[in-house]
Amino acid sequence: MGVTCVSQMPIAEGKSVQQTVEILTRKLELLGAEKQGTFYVDCKTYHTAAATMGQTAKLMYVMHNSEYPLSCFSLFENGPCLKSDANCDVLMVKLKGFFQNTKGNKIESQGTRYQYCDFLVKVGTVTIGPSVLGISVEAEYCPCVVANDCWNLLMEFMQSFMGSHAPGIPSVFGNKHDSIYSPGDMMVQYMELFNQIRKQQQVPTAGIR
Amino acid sequence: MSGVQAVRISIESACEKHVQEVGLDGSETYLQPLSMSQNLARLAQRIDFSQGSSGSEEDEPNRDWAAGGEEEEEEEGLVKFQPSLWPWDSVRNNLRSALTEMCVLYDVLTIVKDKKFMTLDPVIQEPLSQKQNPQVLQLISKKKSLAGAAQILLKGAERLSKSVAESQENKRQRDFNSELLRLRQHWKLRKVGDKILGDLSYRSAGSLFPHHGTFEVIKNTDIDLDKKIPEDYCPLDVQIPSDLEGTAYIKVSIQKQAPDIGDLGTVNLFRRHLPKSKPGALHWQTKLETAQNVLLCKEIFAQLSREAVQIKSQIPHIVVKNQIISQPFPGLQLSISLCHSSDDKKSQRSASEKQGPEDHLYVLEHSLHQLIREFHKQTLSSTMMPHPASAPFGHKRMRLAGPQAFDKNEITSLQPSEGLLEKIIKQAKHIFLRRRTARTIDSLASRIEDPQIQAHWSNINDVYESSVKVLITSQGYEQICKSIQLQLNIGVEHIRVVHRDGRVITLSHQEQELQDFLLSQMSQHQVHAVQQLAKVMGWHVLSFSNHVGLGPVESIGNASAITVASPNGDYSISVRNGPESGSKVMVQFPRCQCKDLPKSDVLQDNKWNYLRGPFKEVQWNKMEGRNFVYKMELLMAALTPCS
Repeated sequence: MGVTCVSQMPIAEGKSVQQTVEILTRKLELLGAEKQGTFYVDCKTYHTAAATMGQTAKLMYVMHNSEYPLSCFSLFENGPCLKSDANCDVLMVKLKGFFQNTKGNKIESQGTRYQYCDFLVKVGTVTIGPSVLGISVEAEYCPCVVANDCWNLLMEFMQSFMGSHAPGIPSVFGNKHDSIYSPGDMMVQYMELFNQIRKQQQVPTAGIR
Repeated sequence: MSGVQAVRISIESACEKHVQEVGLDGSETYLQPLSMSQNLARLAQRIDFSQGSSGSEEDEPNRDWAAGGEEEEEEEGLVKFQPSLWPWDSVRNNLRSALTEMCVLYDVLTIVKDKKFMTLDPVIQEPLSQKQNPQVLQLISKKKSLAGAAQILLKGAERLSKSVAESQENKRQRDFNSELLRLRQHWKLRKVGDKILGDLSYRSAGSLFPHHGTFEVIKNTDIDLDKKIPEDYCPLDVQIPSDLEGTAYIKVSIQKQAPDIGDLGTVNLFRRHLPKSKPGALHWQTKLETAQNVLLCKEIFAQLSREAVQIKSQIPHIVVKNQIISQPFPGLQLSISLCHSSDDKKSQRSASEKQGPEDHLYVLEHSLHQLIREFHKQTLSSTMMPHPASAPFGHKRMRLAGPQAFDKNEITSLQPSEGLLEKIIKQAKHIFLRRRTARTIDSLASRIEDPQIQAHWSNINDVYESSVKVLITSQGYEQICKSIQLQLNIGVEHIRVVHRDGRVITLSHQEQELQDFLLSQMSQHQVHAVQQLAKVMGWHVLSFSNHVGLGPVESIGNASAITVASPNGDYSISVRNGPESGSKVMVQFPRCQCKDLPKSDVLQDNKWNYLRGPFKEVQWNKMEGRNFVYKMELLMAALTPCS
């Protein structure tokens, strides 16, 4: 487990999502990255039953990552992150009284995994059901576990194939200081990314309406 | 007297003891009273047998004569009462009695002569009977009483021995129970019906081998009580399944060439020399342990052959009968075979005696046993209790994989990826590579005297990796020539050479590669040694190169060269040393010393004479000195002017 940075790749002008992904992957392949199968990250959203909490409904995200095939991550926004066995979903059905599914709750990112020396790059398309929403790019620097130590290196690497679209420092890194980066931090980043993409999706649709 | 009525008078001896004598002072000395037997003997002496013989009923043949005799006596009795009628009456009476006596004597003699009814024995004299008779009688009576006592004792002994035998029988019964208890402490037993069955298998230790491995406990008490019990007798015996009898082991060997296909599967069995003992007398513990070992060997072999069939390798593994053949390196074959010899197979033993166990790799056999036990442990620990109800079944670390968010690599590392066969092949490869490396180094060291090679093997190594430190030195100059120190890490497929300066070279398993590398290192060592020597001798190094691009091309590596100049700069020595071409040493003289140099028209001034002149080759093999560096030292010393 290294340090990861999850970011969104905007869709190139006049290109479809698929084409943009292809451009990106071609760049990676030219760089010398090797294709290493596929990956997926999915996220189900639950909201707390207001009656039980007596407060404003909070959102809880239950996520899976193919990189951690036996684990399930459950996290609140800005809240704790719970790592558990993969059959946590089954438990959520039992907890229906407290956590309820939100509409169109499942968002996922699927794509190809590339390895370039010590770096892992995962380029995925973000979808809700059948609709494609955007592109996620995850870059991981495997040998390091302290985020701040390798952030510059990671950013430079991302710039090499993302160009100007390389992201700024993720907010998770700021909180971590010099502590060890954990898988939960990566999932928080994905959650934020998914939220961001969802919002972007809602804004244009709202505008059309 | 006849007129008076007879009065009965009983006469007894008043005094029991006869008075022998009366002393002057009036004291009486008594005779000791006779004992009963003495008395009897004395009374018997007194009997006059000649008188009573006519009345004896035993004289049957002479009965009528005797009757006649009686009549005569009666007559005589009548005559006796008559008063003496005539003067010769007494003479007649005496004659008559004499005649009677003679007749009786005659009769007695005739009877005695027959030796049928009467025998003559010498009558014991009175003085003798006084002394010997009591002793004989004593002896007889003692004998008799002793015999009686002996009989009583014998009876008692018989009873005792019977009871002892009984108690021994009991003891044996008790022994059986205590033996059973001891057996129970070491082996799993259960009672089925009236039988006691035990478990030989490693199932409780995690084995998945389907062999039931049951043995039966037998009570061995039907031994003959009268016979002597053998020392190694044990009241408990075990009956092991027939297929687990005998001894077994796994033979692992590495051979150079593949044998004929006809030889496959007929691995020569050689017997391990067990302490010879009768089959019945073998203690159950040894018996069970041997049987269990057979079972384990069978399991190892079954596991290996299963893997050999399943695993796909470039050169497929061959499983024939009791042998698995694999090719770890080209031209090399690893054979693992199950040798199971039971006692009755004499033919196999005779075949086995031809070949000794020389190519048996005990290390690998041992590690096979280790691996199967690890394998057992894995299966055992996978279902470790207690187990959380909500967690999936599996290894404990596997259980933690979810909550602790293990990534793919960690999870794959948890899963047992390698089988027994793969592991043992890897170990065999390593062992082979290590042996070959050692042999290569040793053969080089023995072949090449200058420079010397020293190999320091580490005592402790991993099953897949070991290391050796190789030093190349020159004799007598160990302190100054330390330039070549190599660390050889021998792995499974490759040898990694770590040079002293940090360079890492990876060599393949080929023997030639290592040999070439060492040869080139040795050649370089000579040049390095010259460099070190120059420093010590105060010479200046003008040039140095490990890999010279000039001159004849070496087939192994590159030649190396060095040029050093004498302290005052007059002479210089140039050395070129190649792994194949050997060393070539040239000396450059100052121009003034070269007589045969043609006078140049250009260099007329005297000062040009101090320029260096041409090189001349040194006939190196004619130099004195035991090795290269010593020769070089001599050369340098010769060229250094005395100051």
